[in-house]
Amino acid sequence: MKKKFLGAWATFEYLDDTCAAIKELKTEGYDQITTHTPCPRHEIDHALGNPQSRVPFATLAGAVLGFGLAVLIITKMGLDWILPVSGKPIISVPIMGPIAFELSVLVAIYFTMGAIFFMIVWDAWRHPVPKSRKYKDYNRFMRDRFGIVVACGNDDLMKIEAIFKNHQAEEVTLEN
Amino acid sequence: MSQLSYGNINDKVVNSMEPPGKSWMVSMVLILGALSMGVFAWAIQLRHGLEWSGINHPIGWGVYITNFVFWIGIGHAGTLISAVLYLVRAPFRNSIYRASEAMTVFAVMTAGLFPLIHLGRAWFAYWLLPYPNQRELWVNFKSPLLWDVFAISTYMSVSIAFFILGLIPDLATVRDESKGIKRFLYSIPALCFRGTNHQWLHYMRGYLLFAAIATPLVFSVHSIVSWDFAMSSLPGWHSTIFAPYFVAGAIFSGCAMVLTIMIPLRQAFPGFKEIIKVKNLEGMAKMIIFTSLIVTYAYIVEFFIAYYSGSPYERALFWFRPFGEMSHYFWLMVSCNCIVPLTLFVKKIRTNIPALFIISLLVNVGMWLERFVIVGTSLAHEFVPFAWGSYQFEWAEIWITIGSFGWFFMWFFIFVKIMPSIAIAEMKETLTPPFRKN
Repeated sequence: MKKKFLGAWATFEYLDDTCAAIKELKTEGYDQITTHTPCPRHEIDHALGNPQSRVPFATLAGAVLGFGLAVLIITKMGLDWILPVSGKPIISVPIMGPIAFELSVLVAIYFTMGAIFFMIVWDAWRHPVPKSRKYKDYNRFMRDRFGIVVACGNDDLMKIEAIFKNHQAEEVTLEN
Repeated sequence: MSQLSYGNINDKVVNSMEPPGKSWMVSMVLILGALSMGVFAWAIQLRHGLEWSGINHPIGWGVYITNFVFWIGIGHAGTLISAVLYLVRAPFRNSIYRASEAMTVFAVMTAGLFPLIHLGRAWFAYWLLPYPNQRELWVNFKSPLLWDVFAISTYMSVSIAFFILGLIPDLATVRDESKGIKRFLYSIPALCFRGTNHQWLHYMRGYLLFAAIATPLVFSVHSIVSWDFAMSSLPGWHSTIFAPYFVAGAIFSGCAMVLTIMIPLRQAFPGFKEIIKVKNLEGMAKMIIFTSLIVTYAYIVEFFIAYYSGSPYERALFWFRPFGEMSHYFWLMVSCNCIVPLTLFVKKIRTNIPALFIISLLVNVGMWLERFVIVGTSLAHEFVPFAWGSYQFEWAEIWITIGSFGWFFMWFFIFVKIMPSIAIAEMKETLTPPFRKN
C-alpha cells in the first residue's frame, strides 16, 4: 500500500521568492524538502545547503571494474591461444592500453547511468511527494514555474502555508 | 523579435515537433530513394562479391574504408560539442549540441555499416568479436583493427547513452506540453522526471562525469582509427603524426557537418532563429578555422618529414600524391580543406549564412577526399613499382556511399520530428531566471 503523503506544496513564479521560502523552511527545521525547477539552478542548491551526489563513486567503481575486466580477458585469451606476433611478448602490457581504456570508459558509463537512476529512485523514496491528482497533473514545473514540497505533520501545515504565502507563492495546496 | 523566456523556449521547440509538412515529406522521399539505391547496390555486391566495388590489388581498402573513417570523423563533433565544450563552458554550445549529438549517434551508426560492407561476407562479422568458440581461437589483441572494434563500439554506446541522458529532462518537458496518447508515449522515456532537486542533483553530477569521461574518449577513438593505418609500415601511413592529425581532421569535418545540418534546421523552423543565433554558428566557424589550420600544418609536416627522412619510398609516395595520376583528388582536397576555410577569417563571410553553408559543404567534400587520398594513394604506390596500381570507382560503391547519406539523413529527419532538436533545459540555463527583485 502506498504511504500517504502529509504536507504542503506551493508554486512560485520567481526564483528569489522560492529560495527565500526554502531558507526560511530550513531555518524552521523542515528538512524533508523537495523543489521543482524547469532547469538546474545553483541558487536552489545554495538554499538547500549544497547537497552532494554519490554518483561519482559508482563511476569510479565502474572504471576500475572495466580496467580489470580488460586486463583479465586479454591475459586469459592470450594464454588460451598463443599467437606470436613479430617476437612480441604473448602478454604485453602496452597493447592492453587501448582496450583497457575503452572498457574502463564503457563500464564507468554504464555504472554512472545505473547510479543516476538508482539515486533518483532512492531519493524519491526518502523524500515523498504528494500522491494527489492535482499535484500529478500540475504541468508547469518543467515549463516556467518553481515549486516546493514539504512533508510535515498535521500541526505544522498552517505554519508552512504562512511561510509560503509570506514569500508570494502563487498557489498553496495542503495535503492531509 | 520576442525575448526568449522559459515558456517560449518550450513553445518553439514543441512547435518544431508538429506533424511533418510537405517539404519534410518531399525530402524524406528523396532520402529514402537514395537509401533504397544503396541497399540495392549492397544486395548486388553481397550476391556477386567485392568485384562490384573498385577494390583491387593492391588497393584493398577503397571507398568503404574511406567512408568508414569519414563517418567516424563526422561523429566526433557531437561528442566534442556536448562534452569538451561543456567542460570549457563554451557559450555557443547550448543551442547546437542536441542536434550535434544526434548527428554523432547517426554518423557512428552509419560508420559501423562500412566494416560490414567492406568485409564482403557480412554474415561473418561476429568473427571480429572475442566470443567463446569450439577451438578457443581468440582474436589478436595486438592488432589495432581489434582495438578499433572496441573503440567504435564503446564510442557508439557512450554516444547513445550521453544522447539519451541529455534527452530525459526535455522529453519530460514535451510530455508536460502534450495531451492524450502523445503525452503517454513521451512519459515512458521521460522516466517520471519532474525537475526535482534530487533529480537535477544526480543528473547534473552524472552529466558532468559523462562529459569528463567522454572527452578523452573523443580523442582516443580517432587516434585508434588512425593507428589502423599508422601501425602498418606503408609509406604515407607509418607516421607518428597520424593520431593528432586524424583527431583534428575529425573535429574539422564534424564541425562542418554541424553547420551543414544546423543551417537548414534553423531555416526550416523559424522559431529556431532566436535560439540558434548567428554568433553560435560563428563560433562553429571559428572552430573550423582553427582545425583547418591544424590539418594544413599536418599536411605540410607530412611532406617535410618525407623529404627529411631520406627514405626513397616516402619521397616517392609524397611526390605521387600531388603529381601522380590521383593528383586531382589531392589538389581538390587542399583547396577545400586548406584554402576555402581561410575565407572564414573575414567576419562578413563567417556571419553570412549562405556562405557558411557552402563552405561547410566544401569542407565535407574535402575531408572525404582526404581520407580517400590517404587510403588510396598509399596503397596504389607501395614499395615495388610492379605492384603499383590505380583505383576506379564502381557504381555499386558510389550508390552505397550515396545510400549512406540517405541512411544518415533518414534518422536525422525522423529525429527532428519526434525529439526536441534543441536542448530545452540547457537553453533555459543560459537565460537570466525570473527574479522579483532585479
